[in-house]
Amino acid sequence: MDDTLENWFAREILAHEPMLVRYLLRVWPNRDEVPDLRQEIYVKVFESAQQVRPTLPKAFLFATARNLMTDRLRRSRIIFIGARGDLDDLNVLVDELSPEHRTTNIQELQRLAQAFDDLPPQCRAVMWLRKVEQMSQKEVAARLGVQEKAIEKQVARGMRLLTAALLAGAAAGESDREATKSARGREHG
Amino acid sequence: MDSAHIEREASHWLAKRDSGAWGTDDEQAFAAWQQQSTAHRIAVIRLQTVWQRADRLQALGAGVPRGEVPAPGTWRFSPTFERENSVAASDGPRPRVRLMVAIAAAVLLLALATLGIGYLRLHDPNTYRSQLGAIEIVSLADGTRVTLNTNSAVHLAFSAAQRRVDLIDGEAFFEVAKDPRRPFVVSAGGRLIIAVGTKFSVLRGASETRVVVTEGRVKVEEASGSVISAPSTELAAGSIARAGSAGVLINHATVAEAETYTSWRAGYIALRDTELADAVAEFNRYNRKQLVIADASIARIRIGGNLRAQNVDAFVRVLEEGFPVRAEDEGDRIVLHAR
Repeated sequence: MDDTLENWFAREILAHEPMLVRYLLRVWPNRDEVPDLRQEIYVKVFESAQQVRPTLPKAFLFATARNLMTDRLRRSRIIFIGARGDLDDLNVLVDELSPEHRTTNIQELQRLAQAFDDLPPQCRAVMWLRKVEQMSQKEVAARLGVQEKAIEKQVARGMRLLTAALLAGAAAGESDREATKSARGREHG
Repeated sequence: MDSAHIEREASHWLAKRDSGAWGTDDEQAFAAWQQQSTAHRIAVIRLQTVWQRADRLQALGAGVPRGEVPAPGTWRFSPTFERENSVAASDGPRPRVRLMVAIAAAVLLLALATLGIGYLRLHDPNTYRSQLGAIEIVSLADGTRVTLNTNSAVHLAFSAAQRRVDLIDGEAFFEVAKDPRRPFVVSAGGRLIIAVGTKFSVLRGASETRVVVTEGRVKVEEASGSVISAPSTELAAGSIARAGSAGVLINHATVAEAETYTSWRAGYIALRDTELADAVAEFNRYNRKQLVIADASIARIRIGGNLRAQNVDAFVRVLEEGFPVRAEDEGDRIVLHAR
């Protein structure tokens, strides 16, 4: 199987998801459509990388996003009226959106802990035992005295909620922090 | 097409596989599902990436009794030096490897201790110390950044109620992450400097503590639990405050002026109409080779400019060229005479 392509995708593309989602939320008129839009962009990037991997993954990701939105807007002129961002807005330079920065270990861990704390209590308990204590689902079920099937459900749910918080959802509360970061970067540079 | 629906399906597959009740037929069915569309494969990659990343939570489980789930917000972060880290999907080391690294580190520490190297203080995980002439940046768990000036030390005592830092020696600049529920308190020379989210520097001098605020506001209070506590003083951005035994003296300057007091962060000493005696004291903080003023008559010469903190020679040259000063290099020190 093409395992390395998947690793590449996680490393080079998913790493930019918070920024991508923030960008989409800003220029796309209907925020409900953003998850589907994101998916469509990913499909295009992934399929294109199956042929040839782009040398500048981040730039390629955003170019793909831009092209896709431009296409969609052209096709449906109705949306275009009253669109929050018009087509010119789509030409923002990627690096203007937010300077590339690499989060530190501890920040990453903090974000993870926060996302974890925001889980519903039952789901959080299951995830704690499974992920922190590395119990198997079977052991978790025994420990909490519930059916294994229920644990499996909570695991699926926890997976989705953490993904939403750490990838897509990280876009929401993060803009402030990033603004101060970039200011700080300038100060030093 | 619907991404939420696809993600739900993908999570069910992955959770089932995680349960262990997973046979070859499941494996085949899952593979077939992924083959159906790229969107399916991508949903799997996204969930799996985060699922693997969640293994890092183990780092926070230390000290919690096994089988018990602690309440939200009770994580124990230990502060670490800022370490750049590649983004996202990189798998952490396997738990067993991590354990081995921990054991190796413990053995090394023990070896150092038995060798009698007086480094133990440095290895107190909550104490950070910078070397002479060095500037050290420490990133704390709460997102705060502390820049230690030359030969300085801080001790961290974070609790649920407050983020307390004791400035043991020298000077530090604090870029405090906002957290209204946990004030950030710096204790230095009998004073408490309290901030919520702001940038300021604290210098612990022999007779006074200097606080310079470059952003936001901070409060300065008496640290002693005396019955008659002096009212606290609030400092706005641009304030340069000197707190001594007599009280707090505040100079309301501009932010730009206040920032010259933090120029050491870039390795510079900013002199603004500074008396030579003070300038010399400033240079001596950074360098082993100490400057000594031999004649009182030159001590009050006023000088200005930005100078590299570690370049004493350049400073001395400037003095000799522009002022009635003659320098004698005695090896371990430079003596300044009137000319």
